[in-house]
Amino acid sequence: MARIDLEGVQHSYGNVEALEKFDLTWNDGGRYAILGPSGCGKTTMLNIMSGIIKPTQGRILFDGNDITNLQTADRNIAQVFQFPVIYGTMRVWDNLAFPLVCRNVPSDQIKTKVEEVANTLSLTHLLDRKANKLTADQKQLISLGRGLVRDDVAAVLMDEPLTVIDPDLKFRLRRKLKEINEQYRTTLIYVTHDQNEAMTFAEQIMVMDKGRIVQMGTPGELFDRPSTTFVGYFIGAPAMNVFPATVKQDHQLDVAGTAIDVEPNLQGAASETLKLGIRAEHISLQDDPKSNDNCLPFHVDRIDDFGNYKLVVGKASGQITKVKVDRNQPIASGEMFMTFKAKNCCVYANDRLISTS
Amino acid sequence: MRYGHKYVFLLPGLLVLIAILIFPVIFTVRLSLSGWNSYNPGLDFVGIKNYVRLFTSDPRFWEAFSRLAFFSLTTVFLQYILGFGLALLVWRDVLFKRFFRVLFLIPMMTTPVIMTVIWKTVFHESLGPVNDFLSMFGLTPLWLSDPMLSKVTVIIVEVWQWTPFMFLLLLAGLLSLPKEAFLAASIDGAGPLRKFIYVTFPLMAPISIGAIIIRLIEASKIMDTIYVLTSGGPGTSTETTSFYIFIKGLREFQMGYSAAMSFTYLIVMILSLTVIVNILIRVFIGRND
Repeated sequence: MARIDLEGVQHSYGNVEALEKFDLTWNDGGRYAILGPSGCGKTTMLNIMSGIIKPTQGRILFDGNDITNLQTADRNIAQVFQFPVIYGTMRVWDNLAFPLVCRNVPSDQIKTKVEEVANTLSLTHLLDRKANKLTADQKQLISLGRGLVRDDVAAVLMDEPLTVIDPDLKFRLRRKLKEINEQYRTTLIYVTHDQNEAMTFAEQIMVMDKGRIVQMGTPGELFDRPSTTFVGYFIGAPAMNVFPATVKQDHQLDVAGTAIDVEPNLQGAASETLKLGIRAEHISLQDDPKSNDNCLPFHVDRIDDFGNYKLVVGKASGQITKVKVDRNQPIASGEMFMTFKAKNCCVYANDRLISTS
Repeated sequence: MRYGHKYVFLLPGLLVLIAILIFPVIFTVRLSLSGWNSYNPGLDFVGIKNYVRLFTSDPRFWEAFSRLAFFSLTTVFLQYILGFGLALLVWRDVLFKRFFRVLFLIPMMTTPVIMTVIWKTVFHESLGPVNDFLSMFGLTPLWLSDPMLSKVTVIIVEVWQWTPFMFLLLLAGLLSLPKEAFLAASIDGAGPLRKFIYVTFPLMAPISIGAIIIRLIEASKIMDTIYVLTSGGPGTSTETTSFYIFIKGLREFQMGYSAAMSFTYLIVMILSLTVIVNILIRVFIGRND
C-alpha cells in the first residue's frame, strides 16, 4: 500500500497532447474513480501509473520514491483490464498463486494467501477448476485476485473492468470491490465512462475532459456543485439545466427578464458570460407563480414516465429544461411554473463555477 | 412469395461444385471398380478386384504410405519449431524487423520445382558444393543415393521450402495476440520463459493447430520435390503414396488400379487427419473436462 503522487505530469502522443500538465495525489487506501468521456485521457492516466506509458514530462512517486523510469513489472501495482486476463491452461488455484510463484514466495505462505483471497472473492469452490472454463465475471475476479494476493501492491488499477460483465453481476462485483477495499485498505483506482458505476463505487471521483482534470470530489460534491458546466452536463441523469443569464444585482441574476436569487456574490462578474445551472432534481413544478423561491414560466412539451419518477421535458426562457417530479403529481399540459431555491443554483462565469463564499 | 428462383442463383455454384468435386470423386470410385489399363481402356466392371490386390499383394503401396507419414510428420514438426522460432525472433521490435520478415519469406516465393533442381545440384554427390566443402574433411556423403541419407535430403529441402509458410501463419497469429495478456504477466512478475509457457504458447494453440493441419495436408501431397530430387529412389526409399500412384496411373496407365489406390488414400487421409486433429487439440489445449 502506498501513497501515489504525480508531479507535473504531462503526456503527448506525437503532436497530440493527451494529458495537460497536472499534479495529483492518490491517498493510501482510497477508493477512486476516474470518469470521463471516451478519449479524455483517463486510460493514458492509468497507463502512466502502471508504467505502460512513460509520461513526456513529470515524475511519479510511490511513497516518495521516484519510480518514473521503472518498468511495469518493477512497480508494485496490479492492473485489471477491460477483458479478463487469465492463464487458461492453469487451475484457478495456480492462477491466483502465479504472482507469488514468480516472486519465489515460500509455498506455505502462498497456500495461506491464495486461500484467503479465494475466500474473499468467493472462489473457494472453483479453486481446482481449469480457469478457462469459468464465466467472464469469475475470470475477472481471478484477474483481481492476482492483484490482491501480493502484499506489496501499491494500488490496484482497473480499466473499465466491468464492461464485459452482465448488469446484475456488475452490481455484485462492485459491492465486492468495495468490501475488498474496506478489508485490505488497498488503493483502488477505477477508470470508467459510466457515471453510475463511478458514483456507486468511489469515495472520490476525478472527472476528466479533453486531457484535463476538471474536478475531483465526492459523488455528492460533483452532483451539488459541479465546478464546470461540463461536469454538470456529464454527471447526473438527466444533465444539469443551464440557462444564459446576466447580472442584475450582487446576489441576483437576470434570466430572460426574470430576477433569480443566487447565493454567490456576482460583483465583478458582470463582463463575463454568465450561466445559471439547476439540477432537474431541485426544481418543482406548480400551476401558479406564487412562491418564495425563484420562479420561471415553464412550458410542458413531453412527460416520460420512468416508473419511480416522471421526467417532464419542457421549455423555460427558451431553453429545453428537464424536471424530475414525483410520479403521482398531476402535470397539466401547457403552461406551468418551475420553482427552485437559491441554495441549489450554481452560477457559472465562462463555464466555471463562481464559488459561494 | 415463391422462392423458386433462388435455385437459379445457386445453380452456377452447384454446377462448378459438381464439375470439380463431386463428379471426380464418383468417377474415381467407379473407375476403381474397372480394369481400365493401356491394353483394354474402358469402364468395364471387375468388382473389388483392384481393392483385393491393393490390400493383399501390394506392400509397396503401404510402405510408401508409412514413408509419407514419416516425411510429413517430420517435416511439419521441424517447420513448426523453426517457423515459431523465427516468428518469435521478429515479432517484437528488433533491428531491421521488416527486412528479416521479408527475408524469411523468400523460399516461399520461389518455384518449388526450380528450387529442387537447384538443391539437387547443391547436393550432387561429385559436383555439388556441399560435398566439395565436406571433402576438405574427407567426407563425401551420398546425399541422393544412400537410402537413409536421401530421406534426410528430402526433409531438408521440404523444410527449407515450407518453413516460411509456417512462419507467416505463426507471425500473423503472434501479431494478433492481445497485449493485455502480456502486460498482466509482466505485472505478475513472469519472466520471458514463464510468459512463453503460460501466455504465448496457450494463446497460440488454435493458430498452431490450424497451421499444422494446413501444412500436414500440403505435406501429404509431396510430389514435385521427390520427382525432381530422387524420383523415389534409390530403389523405393523416398517413394511416397502420391508418387507411387503417379507411377501406376500415369506411367503404367493402370487407371483402374490407381483409382482404387487414390480412393483408399483419400479415406486413410481423412481418418488419420481426424485422429491427428484430436491429438493436436489434446496436446495444445488439454483435455476437455
